[in-house]
Amino acid sequence: MKEIKIAVVGNPNTGKSSLINAIAKAKLQVGNWPGVTVEKKEAKLSYKEYTLHFIDLPGAYSLTPYSIDEAIARDFLFLEDYDVILCVVDTTNLERNLYFVVQLMELEKPLVLALNMFDEAKRLGYKVDIPLLEQILEVRAVPTVAVKEQGIEELKEALVEVFEKKLVPKRLPYGEDLENLIEKVVFHLKAFNPDLERISLGVIFKILEGDDELINKLGLKFDKKEIENISSHIKTVHEVGLSDYLLDIRYGLATGVTKKVLQRPEIRRETLTEKIDKIVLNRVLGIPLFLLIMWIAFKIAFDVANPYIDFLDKAINEIFKKWIEAGLSSLGAADWLSSLVLDGIVGGVGTVLSFIPIIGMIMLMITFLEATGYMARAAFLMDRIMRSFGLQGKAFIPLLMGFGCNVPSVYACRTMEQEHERKLTMFVIPFMSCGARLPVYALFVSAFFASYSAEVLLFLYVLGIIVALTIAIILHKTYFKGIGAPFIMELPPYRVPTLKNLAIHTWLKLRHFIIKAGTWILAFNIIVWMALNLPWKPEKPEDSVLGKLGHVISPVFKPLGFGDWASSASLLTGFPAKEVVVSTMAQIYGGGKEEKSEEKSLSFKDDLKDLILTFVEKTKEAGLNLVSSFRVVSISAEVPEEGVGILPELQKRFTPASALSFMVFTLLYFPCMVYAAAVKTEAGTFKFVLQIILVTLTTAWIVSFLVYQFARLIF
Amino acid sequence: MPKLSESKIGQKVKVLSVEGPPLVKQRLKEMGITPGVELQIVRVAPLADPVDVVVRGYHLSIRKKEAELIEVEVLS
Repeated sequence: MKEIKIAVVGNPNTGKSSLINAIAKAKLQVGNWPGVTVEKKEAKLSYKEYTLHFIDLPGAYSLTPYSIDEAIARDFLFLEDYDVILCVVDTTNLERNLYFVVQLMELEKPLVLALNMFDEAKRLGYKVDIPLLEQILEVRAVPTVAVKEQGIEELKEALVEVFEKKLVPKRLPYGEDLENLIEKVVFHLKAFNPDLERISLGVIFKILEGDDELINKLGLKFDKKEIENISSHIKTVHEVGLSDYLLDIRYGLATGVTKKVLQRPEIRRETLTEKIDKIVLNRVLGIPLFLLIMWIAFKIAFDVANPYIDFLDKAINEIFKKWIEAGLSSLGAADWLSSLVLDGIVGGVGTVLSFIPIIGMIMLMITFLEATGYMARAAFLMDRIMRSFGLQGKAFIPLLMGFGCNVPSVYACRTMEQEHERKLTMFVIPFMSCGARLPVYALFVSAFFASYSAEVLLFLYVLGIIVALTIAIILHKTYFKGIGAPFIMELPPYRVPTLKNLAIHTWLKLRHFIIKAGTWILAFNIIVWMALNLPWKPEKPEDSVLGKLGHVISPVFKPLGFGDWASSASLLTGFPAKEVVVSTMAQIYGGGKEEKSEEKSLSFKDDLKDLILTFVEKTKEAGLNLVSSFRVVSISAEVPEEGVGILPELQKRFTPASALSFMVFTLLYFPCMVYAAAVKTEAGTFKFVLQIILVTLTTAWIVSFLVYQFARLIF
Repeated sequence: MPKLSESKIGQKVKVLSVEGPPLVKQRLKEMGITPGVELQIVRVAPLADPVDVVVRGYHLSIRKKEAELIEVEVLS
């Protein structure tokens, strides 16, 4: 069987993803490009006597990169070995797409164009003369409708055909001036690289343009001065730089071809997208509508996810744990071992699993907003506000979602093209007060501010936002200094996503979380277990590694008003998850009540029945939540059960001022290890995670200090 | 010379030149805003920035700051 390696490329918003899904079906394999978190999709399938090996490159507008995605596409196309290029083209936007095609033709590899969204183009009254297009460019062009899986077989046939015929695209004319330069560069390169057999036009242009990053990777020898000399000719004659001139020529070629092959109706009718945008982007209605849409998306995500989180919690922490425990004791496992397995490992797995419903739901919402085209509108509406803080429009949604949970927010940062934009947003997400901090607030509010609970909660949420935006401004001016990217974004036509595509993309992101972040979470969890339980069986919580650490760090918190070891130790246990702060406090202040060891019955049938019943019940709950979604939400601050008993103890140890300071610290310090794992896998380095930890801790300390000192004056 | 940022909503203009830092200029042109092309601001975001421009039959969002880099000639 002959393998044909096919590089799949295309502008963003051309339906490339859907096309790949339609071609690959179940054979789709997903990984990451080395060193970055950009998704890499591959598929191998047999067709006739061939193996078609598709490699999906990230979407690109050009081979002169502007984002990580485009750099990956460029590097692959110039440096890797492949047989055929498949370019997905949005037929409704032929001209700009052909600009990219012109660059691909310069690579001198067999090329197939998938004229995607062909049905939409027809509906708009566009007529494309496909045979003429094929003839002019010497490529194969196949009309496709990816979401309806139309044109897929023809596409495969065309890929085999260009491969077998070694059909190289036509060498387009670039005008006398450039042709002269090309000749000179070829001559120059041949002199410096005697073994050089063939050199593509694409490489020649890259050398002329001076794309150093790529040229270094190509490993060609040449005299830079000489090349600069050659290319300066354009500047003298045309008064523009070579890159500029080349761009104009390429666009000219694209425009010329478009004019020949595309017939557009005389009068441009207003499209459905434009009608929708009149309302959605309306000067008055735009932002309120956006907030409404966000609220609905958010509500749906959390309402559906929450019951399943409870279900998973029960399934793992009650039923699964019970069976493991029974298994361990029947094997006669040592005490410490079963504790490690149950609390360290099973607990860690439980943490990972309990995040699945919410991450899945939020990723589904985000994917939906992106696939429909609304995400770009959201960015359009919010850009002005976000820019004041050194962020861009697309940063709004991840930050907003941070109020629910910081973890999916980290993943939502993927919608931003520029790495520094993603990183800056990830950096300030922790200041958005997530749901896990609420139990801590609830505990302290009911102990000290029972009659002002709403005001205190509001203060905390607003403080979080203010800190996030302040830190964003500071980082923008220091850490990310000088990387001001312009905001040039296509507003693609609205499209109805297919369920299948939504499911695939949500699942891919979810799987990434489970495998990548899951590994880290498990490791963190085992470390935390050790801190809590070593030396083995501490008599008092004070004697554990954690207790000792609490002692060591407690002086740091003195100026904040809570300098005892117990509150320091509680804050430490907040690292895995902030709601744990409450249970640690309960354990320490509650004098470490003996765990009630009720008789646990082991009946597989009962447990299975219980599981199924709980699942059904929770599904019903999710459904009911959805139906009743349109109630007004209120932030409920219920005191966690385990905390009720320690209220008097808290009142003894804290003052209102130090309680407020403790809440502020909880709000601002590092959110949780799941967030850390997510950032590690998304931003790539531990150094970055450590920087975030350092900045959040420092910020938390400073702000809590200020709050405490002020509060002391008032209370 | 008039700039795109100064043109009114709905006004048809023709691009004369694109200036600015190389990377920004390059991207604007690659998105289709090349000298000679006709375009039109169709709407301004609720907070007065960015703007929605129709160029070569599709919608592109750019900030006012970028619109200032585009020199145009008013057609209608």
